[in-house]
Amino acid sequence: MLFSCNFLSSASVVHEGTPVKDVVIKPDAPSALILDKHADYIAAYGSKKDDYEYTLSEYLRMSGIYWGLTVMDLMSQLPRMNCEEITEFIQSCQHECGGISASTGHDPHLLYTLSAVQILALYDNVQAVDVDKVVQYIQTLQQEDGSFSGDKWGEIDTRFSFCAVATLALLGKLDTINVDKAVEFVLSCMNFDGGFGCRPGSESHAGQIYCCTGFLSLTGQLHRVNADLLGWWLCERQLPSGGLNGRPEKLPDVCYSWWVLASLKIIGRIHWIDKAKLRAFILACQDEETGGFADRPGDMVDPFHTLFGVAGLSLLGEEQVKPVNPVLCMPEVVLRRIGLEPDLLS
Amino acid sequence: MAEFEKEVSVLVQRVVRDISNAFKKNPNIDEIGIIPCPEPRYNRSPIVLVETKLGLESWCVKFLLPSLHRKLLLYRQRKNYLDREALVDVTVTLLLLNPDFTTAWNIRKELLQCGVLNPEKDLYLGKLALTRFPKSPETWIHRRWVLLQILQQCYAQKDCRKEQGEGYLCHTEATGSSQNLCTHQARLLHQEMAVCSEAAGRYPSNYNAWSHRIWVLQHIAKDNVEVFLDELSSMRLWVSMHVSDHSGFHYRQFLLKALVTELCKSPESTATATLRQQGITTSGERAHLKDTRPAFGLEESCKEWQPGVVTVPRLFDLEVDFCSELIHSYPGHETLWCHRRQVVFLWYQWRREHPNFPGNTNEDDALHFCGISKDNGQACSSTETSVNGLTCGGDAMEVDGLPDPQDATLVKRGLLMSCSLALHAEHSYVSSLLDNCCNLEQRRFALAYKKWLGSIIRQ
Ligand SMILES: [Zn+2]
Repeated sequence: MLFSCNFLSSASVVHEGTPVKDVVIKPDAPSALILDKHADYIAAYGSKKDDYEYTLSEYLRMSGIYWGLTVMDLMSQLPRMNCEEITEFIQSCQHECGGISASTGHDPHLLYTLSAVQILALYDNVQAVDVDKVVQYIQTLQQEDGSFSGDKWGEIDTRFSFCAVATLALLGKLDTINVDKAVEFVLSCMNFDGGFGCRPGSESHAGQIYCCTGFLSLTGQLHRVNADLLGWWLCERQLPSGGLNGRPEKLPDVCYSWWVLASLKIIGRIHWIDKAKLRAFILACQDEETGGFADRPGDMVDPFHTLFGVAGLSLLGEEQVKPVNPVLCMPEVVLRRIGLEPDLLS
Repeated sequence: MAEFEKEVSVLVQRVVRDISNAFKKNPNIDEIGIIPCPEPRYNRSPIVLVETKLGLESWCVKFLLPSLHRKLLLYRQRKNYLDREALVDVTVTLLLLNPDFTTAWNIRKELLQCGVLNPEKDLYLGKLALTRFPKSPETWIHRRWVLLQILQQCYAQKDCRKEQGEGYLCHTEATGSSQNLCTHQARLLHQEMAVCSEAAGRYPSNYNAWSHRIWVLQHIAKDNVEVFLDELSSMRLWVSMHVSDHSGFHYRQFLLKALVTELCKSPESTATATLRQQGITTSGERAHLKDTRPAFGLEESCKEWQPGVVTVPRLFDLEVDFCSELIHSYPGHETLWCHRRQVVFLWYQWRREHPNFPGNTNEDDALHFCGISKDNGQACSSTETSVNGLTCGGDAMEVDGLPDPQDATLVKRGLLMSCSLALHAEHSYVSSLLDNCCNLEQRRFALAYKKWLGSIIRQ
């Protein structure tokens, strides 16, 4: 699932009156990348879950597996995960309609269909599911105005436009939908600040911007973005701590750092931010004891922020991990194998 | 182990029943919460109802959630039967504990479709879930689906509105751009605005709450100028009290943009829009907000919106002034500077698209300049109207090519209203602010704004 930040702890603390808008990185915060710890953390994650927490997050299980596997692959540790078990699980989640659900017994959705196809692409095994049916499922979700609903119940969001084209691109089937109409809809969600929201008229949001620039990259329409205006908005997300937030006056966060950074990379403006400071912020979000990354220094780690921490470092040029593709958040080497090369502005 | 499982099963059934009974006993429950309580208290139900607040003791949640979750998924895989009543009860409890469990909402959609559930009940359940999880995306998504069902029903019944019964009363055309909302739509609108405000208050810059609010306006109020103006007016106080809430300010930008579009669309409202309260407004909400903190310039602001006439330049003037006021009172808030950019950008763009319209906010001048007589209410629409030798059209007018040199004052005014003037005003605003400002954050944002004016809005 895209941007399900703090999905396990919705009880966010609100400081009334004295807004805290940035964090201070302590001098003893981690400053070196501890990859072994992260790999151990992810490898052990599935097994030690208690019943309650496992239940709470089951509605996004498929995305959870994608986060874990992708970060393992970026760290060249994919063989530690159980390929066979995961493939069988994915197969058990494909429904009659062709769509794939977050877990067995849950209802199919575009979000988890994309995650499943991403996982299978990591394993070079998309044929493990019925690809034609996946394509049909996505086709039926396109609306007259070009938008996509996330499932048969009709909710529209630019996130789902991204899910649709990303899944089809990974399957080499982008020509099966009305791409022109799809592009038209995404462009109708562009705002004055150059950013994008979930629907026409909605506020710009770093996560939605990532989806929309990613969408325009995959459909070869990046020239329709006002790169300077959008780049301006994106690089203003960087705070004195070095971390990036997703909207003005929000706290910096490792996952938003990824969305903003990836969007900047897609529109060719990554050099507009202070990379060294961002790197220091991301490194400070590691937990040296347990492994894994948190949203901010000192918070609880989770696989979601661990993926986006490592992927962010990769985009910043970290050589200990594989180069990541900014559009699909997967190792470049996987996309090369498929023959997929999403556009980037220079 | 088997003994333990049996105990859990009995406990779970009891809790689900108690919750269901609590709602039957008190249909006005307006908030839910978890009561920190690590151990069960002897022979007491973990459900606590205090007035209109429903609490659940924390110790039971870790048994309750996994057990009900499994039950529902087994049903979904046709491995276990649950009757409709059980489905209703199980999904209520599950969704109050974990409102992003999409499949549970979907099961309720199916129950709604076959008439087992009342759509209003689901709006109520969602509202309760939002008191604990004000961002929950799936709760908002389900809400929109339910609202669409109600609206469709509403439209379907407009033809048989004369029939008796307590069906939905719709007096408007289904998709028409009427300024009137039927009573049912008006009530829905009011209810949704209240739910959004509540969630916006519980979590700052609540993206899902504010984008829902926009969706509701787009689907229920469509192009209703009165509702938009009323929202703009009632939100003035809210944003004054939440000057860091970027989503709240974006909502104002959305309203401004929608109003500008509407005011330029229909002939009689191009220059003027008559505002009359029709009992469809969110005034109840405003009253609710009023007593939380002394109004920030509310007295004046309400007066500004309520009189009969609002022009586009007046809207922009008021908004820029409001923004200056806030920037002055609450220095160092990035959101306020972002808002200024958006408003100025919108204004600048509008001026460019409507070069004939004076930047002047005096209504008579405005009308006169456009060659519009107040009485016939004709307007600067996209069709060309030639009055007083001036071409007043939607297309950009060449200032150089003004046909009548005698009309010197008009030419002058035409130049005065040019975009560069507005830009100058903004530049001098920042300069004078920087001259007297020692707040570091404020200076940082002011300098960024100045730079933005220079690079983004340059001609
Ligand atoms: Zn995050």
